[in-house]
Amino acid sequence: MSELTTAHFLFLSAALFIIGMVGVLTRRNVLIIFMCVELMLNAVNVSFIGFAWEQNALTGQIFALFVIAVAAAEAVIGLGIVMALSRRLDTVDIDEVRQLRE
Amino acid sequence: MAIEVLIFYLLAGVAIAAAAGVVLARNPVHSAVSLVLSFVNVAAIYVMLRAEFLAVAQVIVYTGAIIVLVLFVLMLVQQQDLPEFHGGRPLRRAVGFLLGLVLLAEVAAAILTRSLRGAPGSWPPEAVAAVGGNIQAIGRELYSVYMLPIQATALLLLAATVGALFLARPELIEERLAVARRLFTISLAHPRGVDPLQPVAELPGPHDNERKPAGGDRVLVMARNAEEFTEQPAWGEIRR
Repeated sequence: MSELTTAHFLFLSAALFIIGMVGVLTRRNVLIIFMCVELMLNAVNVSFIGFAWEQNALTGQIFALFVIAVAAAEAVIGLGIVMALSRRLDTVDIDEVRQLRE
Repeated sequence: MAIEVLIFYLLAGVAIAAAAGVVLARNPVHSAVSLVLSFVNVAAIYVMLRAEFLAVAQVIVYTGAIIVLVLFVLMLVQQQDLPEFHGGRPLRRAVGFLLGLVLLAEVAAAILTRSLRGAPGSWPPEAVAAVGGNIQAIGRELYSVYMLPIQATALLLLAATVGALFLARPELIEERLAVARRLFTISLAHPRGVDPLQPVAELPGPHDNERKPAGGDRVLVMARNAEEFTEQPAWGEIRR
């Protein structure tokens, strides 16, 4: 372990992804769940760029760039939904949102 | 141990600790600040991985745009004191952490036994340096090989803009009624109105007691609110 390998970056990516996943599974505030989703997207970017670094390729970096663009679009729509939700139901607690369920 | 390994461990440690802070913080604003810290550390790691452009894009897009948006929404929505991590839903928390540990074990096994290696790509550091740097190399690749995906991305961003406008339209009943009043109150003597936009076509004709003479022989229909006109809720609003 005296020099950096791809495994270092993959483990970092895995750790960030799993922290984000645990956050999505355990938290109830919609905004925090949203932030955890961003964290997971970012973790996937670390993997892409780590592989691109290993393979001397640019494809991974370009894919990460597309992920960032899609994350921006997702942020806009997701936060719009959060706004509509809080206006309509006066809550950001995901357990209170059951209009689609019942 | 090489110095860059130490730097990697420092950056990765702070990134992971900040990510844990996002999940564990009670106040959503603290979560957002932790998220900024995590993103900035990950951007530094991108620099170590020779992805300078993505590091800059990460800082600009994530910490510059998305976090600001999140903070604005945090200020706008009603804040509640949720009982999470302070007593509520222990089963869900246990299941969440357990699933996280299972996934961590699986991914660790996958990483440690990884043997598949693709062919090396066509952009070693010398080739990247030969075209002028990371940004130039990405630009060459992006606007030649990935022409169609980047146009699809442009379309996606346009659709996201339209969607955000749609989602941000007035949602409160009072605001909607104000809009409906502005749209529907001007209907002249003909019961269905003469509005060229024709949204009034769905409205029932007004009763005689709603007609008030307004200047000469024209009858202007007056309504105090949109509900006097129609049983239909304004703009598909669900009444509570």
